[in-house]
Amino acid sequence: MLAKLTGWLLLGIVRLLTGAQARWYGCPPKAEQRIYFANHQSHADLVMIWAALPEELRSITRPIAARDYWANTPVKRWITTEVFNAVYVERQAATAPAAAPAVPPAATASVVAEPPQPAPATPSVAQPPAERIEPSMEPLLPLEPPAAPPETPPGAQGQLDLPEPPAPPPPPLPPPTPEPAPAPATAAPASDPLAPLVEALRSGDSIIIFPEGTRGHTGEPQKFKSGLYTLASMFPEVVLVPAWIDNVQRVMPKGEIVPVPILCSVTFGAPIRVEPGEERRPFLDRARAAVIALRDV
Amino acid sequence: MNQFLRSLSPTQQVAALFLIVFGVLAIVSAAAFFLSFREKRNPVHDAAWQAELAHFRKLLGTSWFMALVFWIGWALGETVATVLFALISFFALREFITLSPTRRGDHRSLILAFFVVLPIQFWLVATARFDLFTVFIPVYVFLAIPVASALADDPSQFLERNAKLQWGIMVCVYGMSHVPALLLLSFPGYEGKSAFLVFFLVFVVQTSVLVQHLISRRMQREPFAPNVSRSFNWTSWAIGIAVASLVGALFSFITPFRFGQALAVSVIACISGSMGHLVMKALKRDRGIPNWGRKDAGVTGANGLLDRVDALCFAAPIFFHSIRWYFNA
Repeated sequence: MLAKLTGWLLLGIVRLLTGAQARWYGCPPKAEQRIYFANHQSHADLVMIWAALPEELRSITRPIAARDYWANTPVKRWITTEVFNAVYVERQAATAPAAAPAVPPAATASVVAEPPQPAPATPSVAQPPAERIEPSMEPLLPLEPPAAPPETPPGAQGQLDLPEPPAPPPPPLPPPTPEPAPAPATAAPASDPLAPLVEALRSGDSIIIFPEGTRGHTGEPQKFKSGLYTLASMFPEVVLVPAWIDNVQRVMPKGEIVPVPILCSVTFGAPIRVEPGEERRPFLDRARAAVIALRDV
Repeated sequence: MNQFLRSLSPTQQVAALFLIVFGVLAIVSAAAFFLSFREKRNPVHDAAWQAELAHFRKLLGTSWFMALVFWIGWALGETVATVLFALISFFALREFITLSPTRRGDHRSLILAFFVVLPIQFWLVATARFDLFTVFIPVYVFLAIPVASALADDPSQFLERNAKLQWGIMVCVYGMSHVPALLLLSFPGYEGKSAFLVFFLVFVVQTSVLVQHLISRRMQREPFAPNVSRSFNWTSWAIGIAVASLVGALFSFITPFRFGQALAVSVIACISGSMGHLVMKALKRDRGIPNWGRKDAGVTGANGLLDRVDALCFAAPIFFHSIRWYFNA
């Protein structure tokens, strides 16, 4: 009861501030099992897409929330579980000593949709400043030059999805510079990070994921992590719907607590699917392109 | 008829006015509905005619919306009316800011604009502090906003960003706040009837914009400023002003003005309103958009609201201050 009231209140606030407009291009809002995948620019993305979905879809759709952010206070935890009905995923950052300067990549390394097979705390992309840079319209802040990219240590990459050459590099990022695996992974997840998502899909719910894993710091989404591919191959019958969330980073930039009223919209595009025999990287790039294409619809 | 209307109390007169407005709207809407219904079953006219009808029905929808807003505002009293206009102002400013690129450093200034300036301005209106209300934004706010921006430590495009924000506040908050302020003007022998004044202003300004739009469509004259507006030309502008002012003068019986005075204030309101509409068109052109609001009209949120109220935002302050100065109301 209280959760319902809070939900309405929150919905009212979000609509008042942002309009929370849903634009359905390419597929109608329909109660079938879906995986919505969207760009990620702000923690508020979760709230936006939740608010943009129609009432009857909202109850069967579970957003993915990073446990280290959404469950660190009792209020946030209550809202995410009771109101959003979210699925928590572990980001290894939660347990890694994020402040330790020696292992900065751990702060952003393994994230929402990490593949299930990661070697202990394998940092995927060395982007220590990524989380700190503001997702906004500002020109990219100077990235700290990756200090003398070390040669890829064999094995550190594991089966991560980086090295395929044909992949279009995410424009703003420096080339992926894998760091040597930081010291023994106390942060190693004991279990498969995708497990909660698999469970949610098994039980018939739709889910919302952000395959970039971490919040981007420019308008351009980063490379997609391979969790989307894994889920899509595990559940071929689930419809994959790309979505573009627009303007949210202007509503509440990082470090601010008061949101500003600015119209936002969520654009849903035509579903895509894994073609027979399609490799992981081409599929992920296609998925990313499908999301980006919605920006200009 | 006239005798009968005069015998009514002010409240009854306003109610009668709304009854007439809603009645006319209902008749016109029903006619439009049956026309389009008949067209659907048995098309007689070409596509252009159909599009015209669809456009007209959209305009009708707007008129319904405005009439309803005014009715609610009047029925629930002056305070509620002020809150209503504050909400409209909030949505208009939201649209304006959405389409004006802001930077990270503007965040605090935006908070100031939305959550401090706007409520204070409308509170000043509701409490009838006219001396402060007229200078609060042009003096205090316009000097305070750049301070907030400067403290954000971001000098790039500083003047441009501040100008945008100040202009948004000027049009959406300052201009709009003068509409409910009309409710509080007191003319001798006109107590309880100031809702008429708001109606008069909105009616006259909307008429001039509408007539100008229709005439420029019919006449296909050379546009005067084609880069800003493809429809604006002096002839249709003048006709629009003349027609709306005459209508305003004919409606002088609902205002505290005499015929000539009503004509004069109508001309003032129409000129400022239509010119304001043109100015907002220039802004939209600069942003490369056909109208305020999102790319297409949505179900949620108020889309393209600023398109509807921009003429009013320009006309209201000038109308308010000119009659207050002349009539010492």
